[in-house]
Amino acid sequence: MTATSFVLTVHRDGETLRVSHRPGLSVREILDATPLRVRAACGGSGACGACLVRWQAGPVNPPAMAEYLKLDAGERNAGQRLACQARPRGDAVVVLEHPAPPSPWQSLPADDLAEGPGPRPGWAGPPLGLAVDLGTTHVRLALWDIRLGKRIATRRGANPQGVFGADVLNRLAAARSHPARAEELLTLVRQAILEGLRDILARDVGEVTPMLAEIGRVRLVGNSAMLALLAGRGVAELLEPGNWSRPLACQPEDEAVWRAAWHLPHADLALVPPLAGFVGSDLLADLLAVDMLAAPPGTLLLDVGTNSELALWDGQILWITSVPGGPAFEGTGIRHGMPAESGAIQGVAAAAQGSRLDVIGGGPARGYCGSGLVDAIALLRREGLLKASGRFATAPGAEGYRLDPDQPASALTGADVDLFQRAKAALAAAMVHLLGAAGMHWRDLARLHVCGAFGRTLDPLNAQSLGLLPPLPPGRLSTRPDASLAGCEILLLAEDGESRLAEVAGRARCINLALAPDYDEAFIEHLRLTPWRDGFSAGMGSDYN
Amino acid sequence: MPHVDLPAIIQAYNDAVFDTDKDQAFQIVDAALAQGLCPEDVVFKVVIPAVEDMMSRITQDPDANLAQHFMTAQIAAEVTEKMLPLFRAPPERIGRAVIGTASGDLHSLGKRIVMGCLKSLMVDVTDLGVNVPAERFVDEAVRLDARVIAISAMMVHTATGEQGSLRVRQLLRERGLEERIRIVVGGAPYRYDPELYRQVGADAWAPDGVSAGKVIADLVRGRPPTP
Ligand code: B12
Ligand code: FES
Repeated sequence: MTATSFVLTVHRDGETLRVSHRPGLSVREILDATPLRVRAACGGSGACGACLVRWQAGPVNPPAMAEYLKLDAGERNAGQRLACQARPRGDAVVVLEHPAPPSPWQSLPADDLAEGPGPRPGWAGPPLGLAVDLGTTHVRLALWDIRLGKRIATRRGANPQGVFGADVLNRLAAARSHPARAEELLTLVRQAILEGLRDILARDVGEVTPMLAEIGRVRLVGNSAMLALLAGRGVAELLEPGNWSRPLACQPEDEAVWRAAWHLPHADLALVPPLAGFVGSDLLADLLAVDMLAAPPGTLLLDVGTNSELALWDGQILWITSVPGGPAFEGTGIRHGMPAESGAIQGVAAAAQGSRLDVIGGGPARGYCGSGLVDAIALLRREGLLKASGRFATAPGAEGYRLDPDQPASALTGADVDLFQRAKAALAAAMVHLLGAAGMHWRDLARLHVCGAFGRTLDPLNAQSLGLLPPLPPGRLSTRPDASLAGCEILLLAEDGESRLAEVAGRARCINLALAPDYDEAFIEHLRLTPWRDGFSAGMGSDYN
Repeated sequence: MPHVDLPAIIQAYNDAVFDTDKDQAFQIVDAALAQGLCPEDVVFKVVIPAVEDMMSRITQDPDANLAQHFMTAQIAAEVTEKMLPLFRAPPERIGRAVIGTASGDLHSLGKRIVMGCLKSLMVDVTDLGVNVPAERFVDEAVRLDARVIAISAMMVHTATGEQGSLRVRQLLRERGLEERIRIVVGGAPYRYDPELYRQVGADAWAPDGVSAGKVIADLVRGRPPTP
């Protein structure tokens, strides 16, 4: 959260949306990151005139040149503005009479995006490049002008394979069960990526089909399962633990067939291979984005997702592992759990009477996303309503305990807390294990990066109070919500991208926690909802040296 | 003989277990021994009743959580293990079970809880480890004269897969062992579908480690499974 932020209130057809945003953004930029988008057919240059909104209240910049060209005096006097030109200078209210048709695609928040590696004047291929971060739950895209080193737009949408199950194994098992299923899973994501790309081209470039031919380079990162499903290779191998320490082949066998299927006739298209079984190239991309090999020894990176991945740099070796700690942090399995979408409780703060919920979009709560869950459980602990064992001091009954008595979806049950405990124990025990392998104590950690969308709204103090993160001083924590995409952009654009990737992979040592004898001990220890103690990383690791 | 306040010890121990406070539980056991309680009584009058108490609390209270199961089993097993060498005569054992996780599955924690409870209930249990092939389950059960093969599976595809419980059932049938050896399964997927154990050819299942102890102990004794 930035220190100052404004609230933009948008009315449309009796519905109201409230979005908080940092100063300096245009109304279009603000709304592009929500499900309620303005119409658009240019990259926000003011050329298409499609993005009309009516200003109702609040300070704003005076009309820009483009608005004098696209709007007549009557329209301007009636408060009409082009959303891509109007920038609120405080809390404001606008009316959106003709929104864009609903779409599953939204832009990534501008604050999350990294700068990118810069122009590449020598680039001679077709001008556009596409970076894709293929996650279990979401797909993220960024379209670039490679030569200029300019990011044209980004998108985030749901991974449609979700209908086959939230976790990767169900999808792998489905794909293994029948070739037709495998084909269906593959087609679903490929279509989704194309759809996201078309959305960018339509709204930010202005032309779709001819532009597909202008795409010269595509790089995809993702977790191993997603890459295997997309490539149609390695699915059965992934279901066999014996194969996990080996790299996984997931390059498509025939690139020409691929280019045709993707409708990208001139693209050099590559999936960045995962490191091992369940350590995907999304983690490798994170490591590039934070420039891990140049970081001080004792830098720990967490990528919290459906499957969480971790890496610890000790100055010589990059210790890497993965844990299935994530689904609870994305709301899966929690009675009133949901992804960080409109209606999700993303934060909970103490208030005079009970607590105050911070709901995305400002409407009634529909459920908790990960950061809200952390806040809620931390608050219950602080107020003594929940014990370190995860038990409620007084049983709340089958409906659970409502953090806001007026909001049914704010109820948490004992089973929800149990699930959270398992997820946090799996993650914390993995951190402790990596520290042990590197012969380090958590106090030695110079920096902790929390990657993945979970980090964006996470309150680190609350996470620390529950033992989800080690109790480092705030200055050593940083969040990088879109690090995987940023790393993929480096691979797409930077001339030395490949060689940097090879360096990272060369330093990596993967640990399969299922074979770590002391992991289960640490897991049990970390089930308790208490901050990390001093002794947590002692006495382990000698087996790796 | 110094005064031993058994009800107070039991109460304090149960509370510590219920609150998943292992250090506290051990302190109570040490204090009880110092007061003069004998190791046999620690096991039979404090630890085993505590497991049984947890069992009844769990059935009445669907909210009993994983940390509590772990601690009940873990503390019970550790205390029992510490006390057994101090017994004047070796206690009577009920019989033997073998336990392991299904082929393809490396999750060992569920098995660990179940073993903890079995140990404190005086069932001899042999741990076959993780990723155990069906053949090995059967071979070891025969070699050790075990009455129960307990199979833990934490993932849907290892619970229902052809190399797991289904294959163990097939082998028992082929070798004519079905009357003598029972299959008990458990793990997360069975909790979502209480009928799943039948589909994978098992004789019984249990939703948590503490009740698993009882189900397995009964079958080891030769009692029929109570579905
Ligand atoms: C800890 C954990 C791990 C640890 C395991 C450490 C260890 N030594 O066991 C590690 C990190 C190694 C791991 C690895 C993986 N895991 Co894992 N793991 C978990 C986690 C967080 C907890 C599981 C656990 O141990 N629970 C503790 C047990 C004791 O609890 P329980 O199920 O309630 O058990 C009770 C009963 O079932 C019963 N019981 C258990 N066994 C038995 C046996 C008998 C005979 C009886 C009667 C009763 C019984 O008693 C128990 C105690 O009350 C779960 C998620 C979750 N929230 O549950 C995922 C989860 C099980 N893992 C999952 C996955 C996908 C994986 C990996 C593929 C991912 C990866 N990153 O590599 C690998 C697979 C490894 C393999 N081949 O087995 C998935 C499975 C999804 C599915 N479709 O089935 C889960 C559900 C997470 C998820 N939603 O994605 N995992
Ligand atoms: S004029 Fe605003 S998006 Fe085109």
